[in-house]
Amino acid sequence: MKLLRQVLTLCVCIGVTVGISSSMAADAPKSTGAKEASKDLLLKGDAKCTGCHDEADDTGVSTPSMLEAKPSVLSIGKTRHGTNADSRTPTCTDCHGESNDHNNYKGSGKPPKPDIQLDRHSKTPPTQRNNTCLNCHNRDARHTNWEGSAHQNADLPCTACHSVHAAQDKVRDKKAQAQVCFTCHKEQRTQANKPSHHPILEGKVACSDCHNSHGSVGPKLMKRASVVETCYTCHMEKRGPFVHNHQPVSEDCSNCHNPHGTTADNLLKTRAPFLCNTCHTPHASTQPSLVKGTTPGWWNGSDITQGRACMNCHTQIHGSNNPSGLSPSPQRFFR
Amino acid sequence: MKTPKQQFGFNQKLLVLTLLAAFGAANAADDEIAKLIKPDSAEVSVGLGMVNGDSRDRTIFGQYNGWRKDDAGLLLDFDYIRRDEATGLWTNAEGRNIGQDNRELSFSQQKQGDWKYSLGYSELVRHEPRTVTTGTGSALNFDLSRKGVTLGAEKWLSSNLLLEANFKSEKKEGTRLSGVGSTCSNIISGLFCTTTTGALLMLPEPIDSTTQQFEAKLNYSGDNFLVSGGYYGSFYNNAKASLNPSVPATLNAGLIDYLQQPVALAPDNQAHQFYVSGNYRFSPATRANFHLARTHATQNQDFGGLAAPGLPGNLDAVLDSTLAQLGLTARPMQKVSLLANWRYEEIEDKTPLALYSDPYTNTRNSSRKANGKAEASYQLLDNYRATVGVDYAFMERDRPVDTAEIPAGSMTALREWTEEGGYRLELKRSMSETFNATFGYVHSEREGERWMQLVPGYPVARYVDIQTANGTFPATMMDRKRDKGRILADWNPSDTVSLQFTFESGKDNYTAPTQKGLHDTGMKSFGVDVAWTLSDDWKMTGYLAQSEQTLHVDHNWGYMAALENVSTSAGMGIVGKPSAGYEIGADLSYLDDNSRYDQAMSSGVAIVGALPDVVYRVTGLKFYGKYALDKNADLRLDLIHQRVKFSEWTWSNFVYADNASVSMQPNQNVTFLGARYIYKFR
Repeated sequence: MKLLRQVLTLCVCIGVTVGISSSMAADAPKSTGAKEASKDLLLKGDAKCTGCHDEADDTGVSTPSMLEAKPSVLSIGKTRHGTNADSRTPTCTDCHGESNDHNNYKGSGKPPKPDIQLDRHSKTPPTQRNNTCLNCHNRDARHTNWEGSAHQNADLPCTACHSVHAAQDKVRDKKAQAQVCFTCHKEQRTQANKPSHHPILEGKVACSDCHNSHGSVGPKLMKRASVVETCYTCHMEKRGPFVHNHQPVSEDCSNCHNPHGTTADNLLKTRAPFLCNTCHTPHASTQPSLVKGTTPGWWNGSDITQGRACMNCHTQIHGSNNPSGLSPSPQRFFR
Repeated sequence: MKTPKQQFGFNQKLLVLTLLAAFGAANAADDEIAKLIKPDSAEVSVGLGMVNGDSRDRTIFGQYNGWRKDDAGLLLDFDYIRRDEATGLWTNAEGRNIGQDNRELSFSQQKQGDWKYSLGYSELVRHEPRTVTTGTGSALNFDLSRKGVTLGAEKWLSSNLLLEANFKSEKKEGTRLSGVGSTCSNIISGLFCTTTTGALLMLPEPIDSTTQQFEAKLNYSGDNFLVSGGYYGSFYNNAKASLNPSVPATLNAGLIDYLQQPVALAPDNQAHQFYVSGNYRFSPATRANFHLARTHATQNQDFGGLAAPGLPGNLDAVLDSTLAQLGLTARPMQKVSLLANWRYEEIEDKTPLALYSDPYTNTRNSSRKANGKAEASYQLLDNYRATVGVDYAFMERDRPVDTAEIPAGSMTALREWTEEGGYRLELKRSMSETFNATFGYVHSEREGERWMQLVPGYPVARYVDIQTANGTFPATMMDRKRDKGRILADWNPSDTVSLQFTFESGKDNYTAPTQKGLHDTGMKSFGVDVAWTLSDDWKMTGYLAQSEQTLHVDHNWGYMAALENVSTSAGMGIVGKPSAGYEIGADLSYLDDNSRYDQAMSSGVAIVGALPDVVYRVTGLKFYGKYALDKNADLRLDLIHQRVKFSEWTWSNFVYADNASVSMQPNQNVTFLGARYIYKFR
């Protein structure tokens, strides 16, 4: 009788443990048990991946499930790629391939890699990796010019910048984006730390405010079709046209400015008058200096060097819309 | 007497525990999984921030981050994310820096794959790092604020057709450091001055303008193509049309009349652009993309009080631009990839010519630009890939027909057109599974034709005296030879360590019919970055970089300048979890930027008042620590310490005619301390 009660109790315990656990934890990964018993956690058909590893283990020791071994993978569920109500949402195998060799591996040691690896040490060619993304995202007009773009030419995989599984993709966060770009663009990292800069490190201007890293019609991956057109989106007062235009201004702002940061005021590439001297031969009978000029009429010394330098007088250097015919003459951008 | 429980070993208690374990485990697993896969979260972060010192200690630190003026302030951020699993409806709300003057608020909803709308509000204040001290001793600190709203909407009209629209309006208000200055003489202006005199004056320029942008786009995507067509309108409205300088009465009477003439501020302007762009896939290996845009820009703001009798009441400016681009990429063989791209842009300045500043007319800028490139890559061996490319650029500018159109004297000549051709070579080598390197070299040469001389009072004509020229020719139009090389390398010695090396060197040599003007510019840089994953919980990064830039320019009146800028930067960071519930991070960064302004006189005479080096040095330490008070609440501490040394001559001992001066504290040390309580709603 005792034995019977013991057996019955044990059976109940086992039955309850196995039966109820499996039914309640319908979506839970399986550390043990057959793969067929695994159910999808978040994406259609993801059990093929998330309920893995048990069968590949020949040591008799249960290997951890995806949930236990790499829970960060599951955070894709928090992203747009984890929205099952959207019929376009991909499954694991849509991006990583069917990976049958990997999935059906029975031998000892590590199984073969999935068909398409998207991690940092991937051996999958960048083009193949990127096609995985472009299969869907080629419908996005922002990627129209990806083919032939600087980043595509450099064999940059999408995952070099994007963390697809992360709940918050760093490169899509305005405050954190620059750190991703600085991984390769180290000169800009230094320049952003200089006193005259756009508020990049302060998180108010992102690289993507000016650049389309996915390709552009404009030079330097400019977001709009040219440098000036991109700068005008925030600095439209420079667009004019003016009665008196300053030609380099309307051609390319980077003729005089370095937008990422400088030690000269107003993001100027170097201090005036030297910057201006690269095009102009102005009135200077002596060299730029910290000594006040003594010859009114031909400004020299500190008058052309200090303060706003050449712009002390040529104050409307981006162009003057003054129709006046009187001196100081607006055609020289005095007023 | 033993009870059955005791006799058994598997008793009722065990059964209950087993049941609890079973149910509990299932629920715990559900909770754990839900936490990992569901985006739903709501979080509020509230706290107090404090900075030490006074506002002069933080003019660099607080230029944009809201901590220039106030010693203490509210730290408030919030996030709300919810996804309805059944419908795919996302609701997002976010608030950043609510307590500062750079606050941001946004709200959006979208039914993924169907529709989306978003609203945003953003503020940004730039606090001018320099302080103006007026002639009467008052201190002025200029601010420039931007307040913007954004609206966006998307709707998938069908599985192939997406309509997008967005609108942005930004109000810009404040004051900018500006100035007026000139020399007045009876030669230049007998109307005002009978003796030669001059003055420079600091002038605060008021800013009160609005920028608006609207874009609507329709995208149609098929199996092999994508085409977008849209409209982009941009509108600038300035409430301040002109500025009347206030000139001190102590100046020469003629000079007062001369300098207090109104300054024209930026005029209202607008542009309307229609465009169509897209791509087409001829085959899986051959694709093309294109872009065609037409822009109509106008500027017809009334001159108002600036107008002169007999002249037009506004410029009536019209710029029509056309942009066309076509690109082609192909992989005819597995090992070969090809690329070709052509872009053409034409700007037609249709602004009527009128005599404004007698003897000067307005200036017009019509131009035609073409850029092309072709590139071929070949996979030589398994671990080599070679790329050869050619580049071409052409620019033609309409030349003025008379020096009445452009002020002559400060430039010797303009050039009608330039063209630049060059080639690129690149070799990528995978030296091992863990080491990849890229070697690149670029060479280009720019030439042009028809320098047109600018002699005041004479028609613009072909420059004939090119062999004896001693003036300056614009750098953007001079002949230029460019050489640039670079080496990039990635090394992953282990799964946990990665290193990047970069080295670049380049030089531009300029030539024109003169020995004066810009001679050459150069650059060199190197850098090494390392990332080290110490464990699952600890990661470290570090970098060291140095760049050098040079510029040689000779003035035609005798001075020769050799400019050099050297920037050295280094940094290291660490993030980790020392124990359960704790998270810490620290970043240390250093930048030393040194600019030299060496000069010599071509005549050999000594330099007067030589310019010292400009040195900017900034060291920053950022530290944060986060402690989980319970599963719903965290406590976060932030500590930032920044030390700045800025030694420059730009404003040192420089005094305006009214005794106004501009200054900035050269050594600035600031420490910020912030404490936040973060609550996560479940």
